[in-house]
Amino acid sequence: MRLSGWRWLAVSSLLWASLSAETRPQYGGNLRITTRIAPSSLDPADRTQADSVARQNLDSLMFDTLVTIDNRGRLQPALATSWKAEPGNQRWQFWLRRGVKFHDGSPLTPEAVAASLRLANPGWNIVPANDSVIIVRDAPAPDLGAELTREQNGIAKRGAGGSVVGTGPFHITDWQAGKKLTLAAAEGYWAGRTFLDTIEIEMGKNSRDQLIALELGKVDVVEVASDQSHRASAEGRRVVSSSPIELMALVFTRERQSPDEGKLRDVLALSIDRSSIRGVVLQGVGEPSGAILPSWISGYAFVFPTDQNLTRARQERSEIRQVPVWTLGYDANDALARVIAERIALNARDAGLTLQTTTSANADIRLTRLTLTSLNPRVALAQVASTLGLPAPKFGTGSTDELYQAESSLLQTQRLIPLFQLPVSYALNTSVQDWDQDLDGSWHPDNAWLGSNRP
Amino acid sequence: MSFRRKLLLVFALTVFLSVAAVAWMVSLVTRRAFERSNEERTAALVAQFQHEFRRHSDDVVHSVEAIAASEATTRMALALNRSSSQSAGYLNEATPVAESHQLDFLEFVDARGTIVSSAQSPAKFGYPETSLANLPQLVAKPAFLKQEELPQGTALGLFAVRSTTVGDKPLYVVGGKRLDRNSLVALELPTGMRAMLYQVSGAFFVPQALIDASGNVKQPEALAPLILQVQKQGREFTQLMHWSSDPADDETIHAIPLNGADDKTLGVLLIGSSRRAYVEVKRHIQSAAMLVGGAGILLAILLSSWAAARVTRPVEQLATAAREVAAGNLNTQVDVTSQDEVGELAEAFNRMTRELLEQKERLVQTERVAAWRELARRLAHELKNPLFPLQLTVENLIRAYEQSPQLFEEIFREGSATLLAEINNLKQIIARFSEFSKMPQPQLQQVRVNDLVNGVMRLFQAQLQSRNGGGIECRADLQEDLAPVAADPDLLHRAVSNLVLNAMDAMPQGGILTLRTRQNLDRQYIEVSDTGVGLTREECERLFTPYYTSKQHGTGLGLAIVQSVVSDHGGTISVQSEPGKGTTFLIELPINLDKLRAPKESHSVVTTRSS
Repeated sequence: MRLSGWRWLAVSSLLWASLSAETRPQYGGNLRITTRIAPSSLDPADRTQADSVARQNLDSLMFDTLVTIDNRGRLQPALATSWKAEPGNQRWQFWLRRGVKFHDGSPLTPEAVAASLRLANPGWNIVPANDSVIIVRDAPAPDLGAELTREQNGIAKRGAGGSVVGTGPFHITDWQAGKKLTLAAAEGYWAGRTFLDTIEIEMGKNSRDQLIALELGKVDVVEVASDQSHRASAEGRRVVSSSPIELMALVFTRERQSPDEGKLRDVLALSIDRSSIRGVVLQGVGEPSGAILPSWISGYAFVFPTDQNLTRARQERSEIRQVPVWTLGYDANDALARVIAERIALNARDAGLTLQTTTSANADIRLTRLTLTSLNPRVALAQVASTLGLPAPKFGTGSTDELYQAESSLLQTQRLIPLFQLPVSYALNTSVQDWDQDLDGSWHPDNAWLGSNRP
Repeated sequence: MSFRRKLLLVFALTVFLSVAAVAWMVSLVTRRAFERSNEERTAALVAQFQHEFRRHSDDVVHSVEAIAASEATTRMALALNRSSSQSAGYLNEATPVAESHQLDFLEFVDARGTIVSSAQSPAKFGYPETSLANLPQLVAKPAFLKQEELPQGTALGLFAVRSTTVGDKPLYVVGGKRLDRNSLVALELPTGMRAMLYQVSGAFFVPQALIDASGNVKQPEALAPLILQVQKQGREFTQLMHWSSDPADDETIHAIPLNGADDKTLGVLLIGSSRRAYVEVKRHIQSAAMLVGGAGILLAILLSSWAAARVTRPVEQLATAAREVAAGNLNTQVDVTSQDEVGELAEAFNRMTRELLEQKERLVQTERVAAWRELARRLAHELKNPLFPLQLTVENLIRAYEQSPQLFEEIFREGSATLLAEINNLKQIIARFSEFSKMPQPQLQQVRVNDLVNGVMRLFQAQLQSRNGGGIECRADLQEDLAPVAADPDLLHRAVSNLVLNAMDAMPQGGILTLRTRQNLDRQYIEVSDTGVGLTREECERLFTPYYTSKQHGTGLGLAIVQSVVSDHGGTISVQSEPGKGTTFLIELPINLDKLRAPKESHSVVTTRSS
């Protein structure tokens, strides 16, 4: 071979090696994340703060559940390796994985698991049995497995002073409530140590600040507001989005008091121009929805109407003599929510209703984001009912028809008016590699690693 | 009212009226000056506001023109010209542009009049801009007032409309600045003045829509009628506001309508001018007036006192002296302290009293001479009667001795008896005169007048019944429970007895003798009435003169003695009589118990005393 050929071979080998090195996962590095939420407690059983994908993702970094659920809704083993449901689905038994330890070094025992689950579910009868845990419910619970995948059922050990330890891939090294959380990789994690050494999460940052921080290279993963995701992509940022997993809805704070009020709620629902809001305010992100569950979960969301019908709205409005002035509350820190709330107020005015927008917590109606806490539609629907203070729907066969009926019943209470199903989106720094995210937006940072331009 | 008070009143009134007139005039002049100054300040403040208004208008116009001419706007117009669906991407375009140009309001409106992007109300995208009737016509116009509907209410602002045209489709830029508290803060307000702005919100007054430089106005409802009047009639009005019961809190409010492009009143500018300065000046004037008035009245008092001292005191002294003279003190003289009319009056008075005194003395002397003459006449008359028989008797004795010695012894015995009888008569006459000349001072005791009168009646009872020519009926009309009086029982008994005797002498043919007693407050009255011949008026006047008598016999001292006794008791005696109708004597006595040295009551009436 000629000398030039050897040189070319050497150079190309070197190039190939460097490229290969860049695509091979590397241990180490500090992943920096910002998020809008600012929880005051890390206890997974503490649900005083609103549920969100971000909260679920935070919990999943520190705590494991007995089982997980895949994109198809199938249960997957986690802390439990196997399970069995007795006929009737009232009695379930979960066998625990051996050799799992809490971050404080103590072993994961059935007693610890039972204690953790009892705290999150006071109505359950939970009994540790050898290397398993037996859960007995008052009524058939065919979706108990899916319920156990919810982050509130993350297994945690509570210590003095409100401290919690889990069994997740990361353990807590520093916690400044509502401001900053620092995690370090759990060396003996049962599923294998993650590539990342540490994760720093800064909390309470609005979307604009997060994007600026990403632009300046100060963070690696930021949340992107729905109306910014297209622009962020257009501007060359790496944006990963989930399927529509967040329901934006108008939630009435109390039950309807009279048939006239029910009619007025109907008028409001008919007056909303979802199409314009999605097209302009949301910049085409998300889907208008008249249903609680997104179509990709239920399959029938299109059945529930979403179109504006001002004619019918005005007609129904004219049948009501006395029309109260409603207040529509929104999150003061959410600029998108403000615009949507004002738009809805304008739409309502076109139909003859008066809505006064406010940031006060005591409003007649609130523009709310309801996160679906499970890919199991029945569990998700039950969670929405629970959030609204309504009785949980009962499922027998678990059929789609049954699900549809349950969802229809929930909507007929007129406690909420679904508006949009929105995805959750994240923008990533170019150094973040192999970022894994499920359809529901939940993270799997086990395989993530930081590339060459990591800090 | 005394002269001193009249003088004081005149002086005080003069001072008061003068001060009041001056104070009123000063107040009037001050009020006019204040109102003129107020009008000037209001006009100046309105001019200042109008200047600020024009400046803001120019700013708005420049900003909107700059935005309309900017490259970003041109790009937007191009994109919209190509496809109206492009408008979705410009939802948030207006907000940063408005911020960079310091505009409170900014909207991009497409050729159809649909809002593409709104800084003040982002949710309005896709809605027609209905608050501006004809956008193309407004493009060339200067800034105008407009009410902008916001999610939280309406706001008043200065707006301008400009456009940028790409192809055949214009893109309108509607920008503006809020007319709010900050606009008022920019005004330089003189002390005591304030500016308020009311944003019209329908036909009814909305208190929250009225603001001043510090925020919301206190008591906004009080200004509602004025504002609504301006709103309705579209012209300026002025009103005086009473904010409290204190006039210093009053304020003159001048209200000016602020009209929009279509001459509809969109706002009202109110200029308030406090009347505190004027009220305080007025109060100062009033205080000064009161002070001066008070000082004046004090001066009036002093002057009147001084004048009175110079005028009224001599007059009072004269009056006092006159009263002294009237009381009988003719020696009274007044001091002559000046040479003016008052002094002349005093001298005249003194002359008068001197002459009166001399006249009195002359009169007393004349009366004394007259009394002596009367006494001499009386003596001569009394003595003549017994002396004539004496003379006759002695002449008889001489004749008898010379002519009839044999009868001389018998004649001598008869003559001697006659001589002794007449000498006795002379002695009685002399004794009566002597008694009258040395009437004793009364020895006061407690005397019950009824008992005394009863005693007198008992004493004369026999005489009354045995009178020749007819008896005299004695009647008593005595008030019961008379209080005792301080009197000399003997002297009083004598006085009453003398009156009874006179009454008996007045009824030689008989008649009725009535004795009455009564009391009135601190005086007691003894009345002796007869039904005798009565007396003429002249006789009544001379009745109490010593030695005067209407009887054929008697010394004429009886009633003089009665008068002397009554006078010594501090009382008075009077007589009422008509010829043929009888006579009534009335003794009035003071009770005078305080004059008693030691209580000494006499229950029995009188022990008679031989005269």
